Amino acid sequence: MTEARYIDIKRFAVHDGPGIRTTLFLKGCSLRCIWCHNPESRFPQPELAIHYPKCTCCGECAKVCFCHKIINGVHEFDRQACKACGQCTQTCPSGALELFGRTITVNEAAAKLLEDRIFYGNGGGITLSGGEPLLHSGFCTELLKKMQDEGIHGAVDTCGNVPWSAFERVLPYTDLFLYDFKCADAEKHRRLTGCGNELILENLKKLDATRKNIEIRMMLAPEQNMAPDDLQAAGKFLAPFKNISAIRLLAYHSLAHSKFRAVGHPDTLPDVPSPDAETLDRAAEILRSCGVKKVVNSLN
Amino acid sequence: MIFGTYAQDEEYLWKKFRAPQFDPCTGIDQDTAAKEIMRFAELDAPAPIVKARAFEFLAENLQIEVDPHDFFPAFACWKRRPCPMSPLLAELRKRIPLQQGELWGLLNQSGASNIWIDFDHSVPEWDEVFRLGFPGLLRNAMEWREKHRAAGTLDVAKEAYFEGIRITYGAMLRMLKRFIERAQGHDNARCHFVAASLQRLHDGPPQNFFDALQAIYLYFMFSEHIDHLQVRSLGNLDWLLTPFYDRDLKDDTFTDAQMREMFDHFFMQWGSIDNYWGQPVYLGGTRADGSTQVNHLTHFILEEAAKLHLPTPKIQIKIAANTPDEFIDKVTALIRDQNQSIVLVGEEGIRHIMTSHGYTEEDARTCLIRGCYEFGSRGRVHANTTGVGHLNMLKPFELIFNNGIDKQTRKPVGVPVPPLNALNSFDEFYRLYIQELDWIIEANIKVVNDFEAHLASINPANVFSPTIPNSLRTGRDAFDDGCDYNNSSLLTTGFGSAIDALSVIEELVYKKGEISLEKMAAALNANWEGYEELHRKILTFRKRYGNGIPEVDRFAQMLSRTLGNRINGRPNSRGGVWESSVHCAKQFIHQGAKTGATPDGRFAGEEMSKNASPAMGADVNGVTALLRSALAIDAASFPGDFPLDVMMHPSSVKGADGLAAWRQLLRVYFAGNGVAIHFNIFDAAKLKEAQKNPEKYSGLQIRVCGWNVRFTEMAKSEQDMYIRRAESIIE
Ligand code: SF4
Ligand code: SF4
Ligand code: SF4
Repeated sequence: MTEARYIDIKRFAVHDGPGIRTTLFLKGCSLRCIWCHNPESRFPQPELAIHYPKCTCCGECAKVCFCHKIINGVHEFDRQACKACGQCTQTCPSGALELFGRTITVNEAAAKLLEDRIFYGNGGGITLSGGEPLLHSGFCTELLKKMQDEGIHGAVDTCGNVPWSAFERVLPYTDLFLYDFKCADAEKHRRLTGCGNELILENLKKLDATRKNIEIRMMLAPEQNMAPDDLQAAGKFLAPFKNISAIRLLAYHSLAHSKFRAVGHPDTLPDVPSPDAETLDRAAEILRSCGVKKVVNSLN
Repeated sequence: MIFGTYAQDEEYLWKKFRAPQFDPCTGIDQDTAAKEIMRFAELDAPAPIVKARAFEFLAENLQIEVDPHDFFPAFACWKRRPCPMSPLLAELRKRIPLQQGELWGLLNQSGASNIWIDFDHSVPEWDEVFRLGFPGLLRNAMEWREKHRAAGTLDVAKEAYFEGIRITYGAMLRMLKRFIERAQGHDNARCHFVAASLQRLHDGPPQNFFDALQAIYLYFMFSEHIDHLQVRSLGNLDWLLTPFYDRDLKDDTFTDAQMREMFDHFFMQWGSIDNYWGQPVYLGGTRADGSTQVNHLTHFILEEAAKLHLPTPKIQIKIAANTPDEFIDKVTALIRDQNQSIVLVGEEGIRHIMTSHGYTEEDARTCLIRGCYEFGSRGRVHANTTGVGHLNMLKPFELIFNNGIDKQTRKPVGVPVPPLNALNSFDEFYRLYIQELDWIIEANIKVVNDFEAHLASINPANVFSPTIPNSLRTGRDAFDDGCDYNNSSLLTTGFGSAIDALSVIEELVYKKGEISLEKMAAALNANWEGYEELHRKILTFRKRYGNGIPEVDRFAQMLSRTLGNRINGRPNSRGGVWESSVHCAKQFIHQGAKTGATPDGRFAGEEMSKNASPAMGADVNGVTALLRSALAIDAASFPGDFPLDVMMHPSSVKGADGLAAWRQLLRVYFAGNGVAIHFNIFDAAKLKEAQKNPEKYSGLQIRVCGWNVRFTEMAKSEQDMYIRRAESIIE
């Protein structure tokens, strides 16, 4: 049975496509965006997260595994030695330990996603997200097909940085692509995400040609990707597309610090303020002035 | 100037029911009056007449005012606890021969139940009040008296019933006269405006929008503040007011702005009264042709309520498949903006429940919403359900693990408990649990049936009865056995907590064998002290109610059906039946305080779950999972009421997408026969901020159960409870 590693299943996900949805977040991503809101989803392998604000330093975890130690009332963790087996998560009374990257089979995932089907109605459905879900394109294809057989709307939330073949596999079973657009300039893209955007832009063009429904998601962060130049370049690139149903502007916020700490990754979040609704309105205006239609400000 | 003065009037209005001052030359004050009417206890007359004479004395002698700052008269009986009639009624009650006093005491002291005589749930037939007016209600009652006389059915009890109405309504009309004279004595245009309206109401039914508001207010004051019977709904207000509003606008009697200002004054009366349990009104509904009853007045009322932003009146809104999307979005946007006084009730679920218990679809369509969110038939047939008793669903655990001895009273309560090691299977444990519940249900019914047989003598409903056609037809008190349906409701506390406790026992004791019953007993009796490890293990136990886990939710189904089968349809002593309800009002705190530690991990004295909701923080799978758990229950098990509380994070309902998803959530819940649902939308950070800086958050309201409170006025421990809860919700 095909399986994949996942980090979370979110119900009543109302911002991952239309209506009430359940979103499955798969683990592993091919980008390293400095502003990543889900740092726990980037690496493909399982990772133990320690939610330090919840930890009372009770020492229960230290009883089951030497990776945890309470030294002078402080919780020390040896991440190098941790095999991410997840055993210690059972012992923590405060819910401070969480294992990201448990495996799930297609059938198990389908059962989970179907639990909320009474709520989907005509408008809602399921979304596969991540990380980058299309790194698990086999899994996604099987799962989306199952959903399609059940008459459930399926969306894929992708950064686009995967081989086109991955898109091709899921295409027949996907109703909507939520496609991240970070920045039009390749060099800047490399600086912001660790990777150029050539493949991403190429895939977007190919996807548009398939006439699938696409919603572009632009997460805007001050001083990073929302200068007038950035927006104009983005607008020019996006204007000719035919099958984009909306360009949704999302506001960056720096609330993920604790998540970086929890999984022990170097915190790369830019220290810039979250743009407000008016700032996004202005960005929307610039995009519109380049001929882009259907720009949606998610803060309104 | 009569209009455009709300801002100047507001200060007076706030004081009106908190620290009012009366001109002593208008009469006597409330406390003196309460003492004076004790002499009527000596009267050698049936209870309705004794009470009516006391009412008459109060109406004729209490201080009054018609203030230039107000559209509505002031009564010196503004204080509600005690109401001036209370001591007299307490005296009359002593004369009633009760058989079950001892059992009543045991139930209440142990916290196994909590029973008091219900004077809290009357709703007049507002259509009759509007059709006949005060003089017409009196005339109509007297015509019925003559019909009974002619038919030879006017026995001593009926004669007293009608005489009580005659004296009471006569006194009401004389009190109106007093108000009119007082108003005319003021050299003020508004007072004269009010006097003219009062004169119309003295002479007949309300003639315009203002008279209609005045009639509702006056009825409320006569019944609730003088006659000691709460008015638990101001009616289907949009629907009641529509004909007046439309006519007045067309005739140029009033402008829309003028009617809005009168309405603001009207709502502010209850804002000023400010009972913690709140004053209900309901809106919306379905017309006979199946279309929605939501109209311009529904919007008008919602808009004014949002502007005033009061914790009370609380607004119950009937939602059906025909309710327009835009309207639902307007309502939920208001809730999102912290108008927590709004609660939503599903007409489909109500129809399912009512028709399951023999009411017609038409009875369900025209039903009223009263109290916190209860429903009941009105229109062609009337139901007068009392809320009598609160079944403590956690008490059986305390009894089972403490050898059948209640910890509060140190007395045996419930059925005899065998040694724990004799409970060899979960099946046997469950059987015993149900036997304990049964014992409490039977005791509760016995106690209530005993005193409710005398309800008409305990508190004759002289103001209420003539508004109910069947009461006049039968010559019987409308709050006793004079409605078409005279039902008694047994409420429930700790429903969700009990499910969790059963789930813990099934899984950890019987399936996994990780804890013995003896160890559980020791831990519970030590209130977990010395058993911290076990306690921690139980706290991390996830198979709890509210998470959409079928294996756990089956307990919700089993228990709801069991309660329904044991309670529903049992005869009460008023010719009606018992109804099971999963509503608990404030008892989840009070009975929690009287209940020892329980296997779900609860400490002794802690609150338990309320309504059909999970224990605080037990639901960790989000709102859809919570609703799936609740929908696993057949709502028809709970004809008394089936309310659910939901807390959501603002981010999950932000924007138009959020509202659309929320609407879909409601549509699904109501289509699945969910009944009452209320929401708290807030995040923990904001609550913490409000705890620190109360001055900045005086408007922040929390929906507690069937009512609202200002967050900043809650005790710190209660605030902390809500903060903990908010922290556990998923964004
Ligand atoms: S594409 Fe998304 S998940 Fe991947 S690194 Fe960027 S923000 Fe994180
Ligand atoms: S068991 Fe949990 S709370 Fe205790 S020290 Fe470990 S992580 Fe912290
Ligand atoms: S996940 Fe496994 S290896 Fe890592 S700390 Fe926990 S118990 Fe130890």
